[in-house]
Amino acid sequence: MYLDVNAWVGRWPFRPVPVTTVSGLLRQMDRHGIEKGVVSSLHAVFYRNSQAGNEELFEETKRRRDRLIPYATINPNYEGWREDLKVCQEDFGMAGLRLVPQYHNYRLSGGEAREVVNVAAELGMPVAIPMRLEDRRQRHWLDVAPDLSSGEIEAVVRACPQATFFILEGIGLENSALARDPKLRERVYIEISRFTSVLQESIPRLIEAMGPERLVFGTGMVLKVPTPAILKVEALRASKKVKEAIAYRNAAKALKVKM
Amino acid sequence: MRKIDCHMHVNGGPRRWGWGDNDRVIDAADRLGIEHLCCSIPVTRGLPGPEEVRECNDGVLEATRRYRGRILGYCYVNPGHQRAALEEIDRCMNRGMIGVKLYNQYRAWDPTVYPIYEKAIDLKVPILWHSGHTLDRATALAVGQPNISDGTDMARAARRYPEAMIIQGHIGGGGDWEWGIKAIRHAPNVYLDTSGSVVDDGMIDLAVREIGAERLLFGTDMTMEGGVGKVEDAHLTKAQREKVYWSNMAGILKKGGYFVP
Repeated sequence: MYLDVNAWVGRWPFRPVPVTTVSGLLRQMDRHGIEKGVVSSLHAVFYRNSQAGNEELFEETKRRRDRLIPYATINPNYEGWREDLKVCQEDFGMAGLRLVPQYHNYRLSGGEAREVVNVAAELGMPVAIPMRLEDRRQRHWLDVAPDLSSGEIEAVVRACPQATFFILEGIGLENSALARDPKLRERVYIEISRFTSVLQESIPRLIEAMGPERLVFGTGMVLKVPTPAILKVEALRASKKVKEAIAYRNAAKALKVKM
Repeated sequence: MRKIDCHMHVNGGPRRWGWGDNDRVIDAADRLGIEHLCCSIPVTRGLPGPEEVRECNDGVLEATRRYRGRILGYCYVNPGHQRAALEEIDRCMNRGMIGVKLYNQYRAWDPTVYPIYEKAIDLKVPILWHSGHTLDRATALAVGQPNISDGTDMARAARRYPEAMIIQGHIGGGGDWEWGIKAIRHAPNVYLDTSGSVVDDGMIDLAVREIGAERLLFGTDMTMEGGVGKVEDAHLTKAQREKVYWSNMAGILKKGGYFVP
């Protein structure tokens, strides 16, 4: 059983994605034994007004709340974001939010990021931050978003001590303060899709640095295929208890969902 | 399903890829059901001299001896040192290597590489090219690979040498994979390997649709779980998956006289 903290729905503007709808995503989840997924709107990344994407997401997921946990995408650079976040939480029942500063033209170390993260913390909403959405080497000529660095993420985690973070699409964090500093790591969950259980063995090193309770399963669907992440859990040399913690228990506890 | 990884590396000679002992390679392969791994140690930046190239290949040869039958070797050469490169290919093939590995020292169509193609054709062994299509030259320069070849370069070389068995490396290696696939549609002697860290949904399916499962070879290039996972998730028939994982590469190896048990 899996709980995927890193799913998306919608179209990607720079190439066709085989699965774009909620029903398609659910079929993918069924095929791979993924019981629940935290999902955000890809459209909300690219619309000027992200809230329009959040509204679409609400409509598309409202009958599938048994499986899908929608997260709002908030752009703190855009007019009305505070009210939008409130609507997402109170009216749409969205329990957390995703930030994509690399696409919304602000820095994680800046004031806008601190402000939105602090508001989310006040509302009790975890903040998910993908370090990237697509490999930069294949970027479209209109896609100028850089990958986020661990330093930028570390800065916002330090600056907002009340907030809880999910770091998505992370890589190379084994030796970062996010994994090593007890004061930071107690508020950080790291999604594993770009780490490895074999060969480089970065997941075992993450476990060594921060304990298994901070690692969570994620796939990157619908942009990425899910089996690579599943194999990382299956191939991990660890007890059944640790594997289950990473596969779903840690995220279920953090998100307060039943599995 | 049995698997031959057509694009992998080992530590050895002057190169360390980020793991310790090569036992880890075998351990990873065991955990993912990979029987054979075709490995090389290329020099990834600059123009290495013959001595450095030999050290790399000695590292591969050591691994092939230590893990006999599991690790198969590609002979890496710098085509710019022509006589030394050809002698090095002979030396390595005489010690049981199964193919030639070329990196980014020259473009695939560069006349400097012609003697290497001719040698590989004589020996009936494949040439595995490091490859990728970056957005522009500035990006290629930024990643330190001004002469990296893409699918277009592979197709150009393949037209000149239709008898050559050219493997375009790692379609998931971080470049524009749609470009890489389209570029070799009409180059029947260019195979494509599935390796690289990119596991985008639709990538392997597009490759099968455009060039057919017969020209697709399973590989990891050190992305072990991702390498297996992306082939598992592709919409392939059982027969197509078997070709990609095993029989396409087994057939290539057989032409050079290497029979996988």
